[in-house]
Amino acid sequence: MIFRAVEDGDLIRQAARGNVEAFNLLVSRWEKRVYNYLLRLTANREDALDLTQDVFLKAYQNLRKLDDGARFAPWLYRIAHNEAYSMFRKRRPESDVADLPPAATETGITLGGSSVFPIELSLAVASALQRLSPEQREAVALKIYQGFKFEEMAEILSCPVSTVKSRLYTALELLKIELAPIEARGVS
Amino acid sequence: MSCSPFDLKDYFFEELGGAERKEVEAHVHACKACREELSRLRLTGTTLLSLREEEIPRRIAFVSDPIFEPSPWRRWWTGFWNTPARLGFGAAALLSAALVVFALARPVTVQPARLSQAPAAQAATLSDAAIQARIDQAADRAVAERTRQLVSEVAAERREVAADRQRLLLVAAELDFSDRREQARTVAALEYGPPRQATKEAK
Repeated sequence: MIFRAVEDGDLIRQAARGNVEAFNLLVSRWEKRVYNYLLRLTANREDALDLTQDVFLKAYQNLRKLDDGARFAPWLYRIAHNEAYSMFRKRRPESDVADLPPAATETGITLGGSSVFPIELSLAVASALQRLSPEQREAVALKIYQGFKFEEMAEILSCPVSTVKSRLYTALELLKIELAPIEARGVS
Repeated sequence: MSCSPFDLKDYFFEELGGAERKEVEAHVHACKACREELSRLRLTGTTLLSLREEEIPRRIAFVSDPIFEPSPWRRWWTGFWNTPARLGFGAAALLSAALVVFALARPVTVQPARLSQAPAAQAATLSDAAIQARIDQAADRAVAERTRQLVSEVAAERREVAADRQRLLLVAAELDFSDRREQARTVAALEYGPPRQATKEAK
């Protein structure tokens, strides 16, 4: 007996015809990645979870507008990006989103002791990420953690590739400086 | 500052083509500074990846609820609008609108003028003799028609006169018959004498 994994494209086609179970299967494949992407943006688990639900609801309602199933990932992350920034604007309508300070949930961690344990390393990285601007942090999240190509990132963020690269490379330089002391103590 | 032929970060993020990658690898093999820079980038990348993905606190699942379903009309419209047919539809709608506007805005043409042009054009191609022959034919037809009308009128008058004469003869015969009957009554009255009462008064 030959088993063939159901492709995302098949699930998208079935979901677009109203098959909720197919869409649920699609959700189960992508929810963790979308949640973590939104967690990097918002630094708040509750917000990230709420936004993830909204993202998939919007995706289901607009799935028929997706012409090319191969573009599902950038399309889905574009929705996620829009939802996150919509939330930022609602909470701080009077200020530019780019000027928003990082959320305080995982910042302010001081590293003590001579060795860096994995949990401390994760906290240090989270702290370093929160010191970036929202755009830089999002660029890092899309490239390092989600593995998108520059072209796809430009599509998601609705900006030129040059802007994407500029944000990412600036962020990388800042992170190198920020994480250098921890890296010096050893990263396994 | 890197002296690599291509950006080391592009190489690190695997955004270079095959030939470009080989060039960078050859350069990094020979250049200590770029090799160290690439090592730092890789170390930073590894450090960043130490931040593990979290499990989603609550799984997301949808139920088949009509409230989340677009209406059939909306589904049809979305399906239609997402196909290339929308271009044809838009073009047809524009063409229809243009036809309607043209039909409403166009001035009305005078039909009799067009009709009167046809005999005029035809007459221009005929000779004078032909025109004269046609005039004669038309005059003959008119005379014959008038003659027929007059003959029929005369015949009708004759029939009417004959009918009047017949009626007069009948009236004359009637009068003659009445006159004779009156004379016969007068004769009879003379033969039988006056009434009886007039006789007594005479005595």
